[in-house]
Amino acid sequence: MQSESARMSSAAEARFRIQSPPPTNRAVKVIDLDSATDGDVDRLLAEVGEADLVLMLMSAGADAESAAIIGRACSAKRVMTHTVIVRASAVNDAALAKTLAQVRPWSLMVVVVNDDDYVDDILRSFR
Amino acid sequence: MLKKEHNDLLTQTGPETPFGRMFRCYWIPALLAEELPANDCPPVRVKLLSERLIAFRDTDGRYGLMDEFCAHRGISLWFGRNEECGLRCPYHGWKYDVTGQCVDMPNEPEHSAFAKKVKLKSYPLVERGGVLWTYMGPPEQQPPLPEYEFATVPAAQTYTSKRFQECNWLQAMEGGIDSSHVSFLHRGDINTDPLFKGARGNQYNLGDLRPVFEVVESAGGLFIGARRNAEDGNYYWRITQWVMPSYTIIPPRGTHSVHGHFWIPIDDENCWAWSFDYHPTRVLTEAELTAMRAGKGIHAKVDSQYRPIANKDNDYLMDRTAQKAGKTYSGIEGFAMQDASLQESMGPVVDRTKETLVSTDSGIIMARQKLLRAIKAFTEQGVVPPGVSLEHQRVRSAAVVLPPDQPFKDAAREALIAHPGVAPASV
Repeated sequence: MQSESARMSSAAEARFRIQSPPPTNRAVKVIDLDSATDGDVDRLLAEVGEADLVLMLMSAGADAESAAIIGRACSAKRVMTHTVIVRASAVNDAALAKTLAQVRPWSLMVVVVNDDDYVDDILRSFR
Repeated sequence: MLKKEHNDLLTQTGPETPFGRMFRCYWIPALLAEELPANDCPPVRVKLLSERLIAFRDTDGRYGLMDEFCAHRGISLWFGRNEECGLRCPYHGWKYDVTGQCVDMPNEPEHSAFAKKVKLKSYPLVERGGVLWTYMGPPEQQPPLPEYEFATVPAAQTYTSKRFQECNWLQAMEGGIDSSHVSFLHRGDINTDPLFKGARGNQYNLGDLRPVFEVVESAGGLFIGARRNAEDGNYYWRITQWVMPSYTIIPPRGTHSVHGHFWIPIDDENCWAWSFDYHPTRVLTEAELTAMRAGKGIHAKVDSQYRPIANKDNDYLMDRTAQKAGKTYSGIEGFAMQDASLQESMGPVVDRTKETLVSTDSGIIMARQKLLRAIKAFTEQGVVPPGVSLEHQRVRSAAVVLPPDQPFKDAAREALIAHPGVAPASV
């Protein structure tokens, strides 16, 4: 007699997993801080309460002052913040440090990538 | 979530699959050296990357890894006689050397040249750091021998174990880069396990149960940093390294040894979880070795076939009383089986189209994307994947306290490189 763990982790038993689709109604708000205007930031702030995740994009070395404004709003509403920093090869450590200093206090997840193609992949993973 | 075609691509490593071909660019651990302990010892069956092989050590101490089955009638050479520099099939006496070359065919005329025309597929098998490594790719593209630090320090400074894990390699490996599960699944063990307890860094762990994560690309894979608050506004960082395709190094604690894993596909529904502990500058103590052999730290108690004693057939020795009392979080004892029990419960190959990933899964998301890119570049343009280069292998994890604005990759640059004879950065 197989144990329950052995029986239930078999490929045969996988057929009986409930097939209803996973949740797809997550509200993800994305803002590119390199190009965002004050109006874009204001619009995002107005929508933070409906968001499940706010994703901020920026280039390493860019000025990310509005990250604090967005982060504060997210913190008040208990919304997850995620920052993706694209680091071009020419960007030095000091420039990245400046950006990190601005975003770290307000980001619960930071990803530093060398290629902005990753941004779409990250978003797709969150559905 | 992952598209089905991407899930298939990342979880299938047989010889004719795209990832199978890329996995064969690397030297991978095949056996522990202890499995072939003496010249002319019994051969050992090995399955790697969905290929059934036989390993043996000949009369002169040379290691061989070749097709498990005799070219004559398909008999398993596990039944063979390992004698006089070759493995002889017991059915009709065909004998093979460590290169797979048939060297004797007693049921053919004496001095027949036919034996020279029969050669089993074989792969190099080389001992390094107590591990027998193999390279299963095209011979003309064979890279230099691996230089992961655990395999290059003196023998007295390193210990490696392996355990059979009954699920696809990727769901096991993803556990190794999923730093956010540590605060839950393993919380009962950090301050009690003999290979973890006593470090100052543990207090940062326990004092700040909501770490913040940063994932940063590295040349060979990823840095995965977990940040917690330390004194004077500084941050305590634990920086894990993932080197493609499946090597992870966990940050050390205090003066304890450094540890990590390799996850190697056996087939698409099983893998070997390799676990190592080493110290770059000192020998491992008898107490440490005793603990490792007893399945403490990241190791597991296993049987003679390297299957964990706690396994799916006995419900992993689930202890609901210990779970209720908070001694263990999941009711399963030990880091290794806490991970393996949950990963096996996902099924042989988990359906990643049904996941609901969140931000703290970014290490997993990035690792998948880096693997997918590498497979594409390798398949379409023949680009050698990250992790083959020795420079990518000579790396370390680190536990450090840094000022709040410092990019850890740069501030801890030297600590993240394996400098022989230099102590690890650890708190």
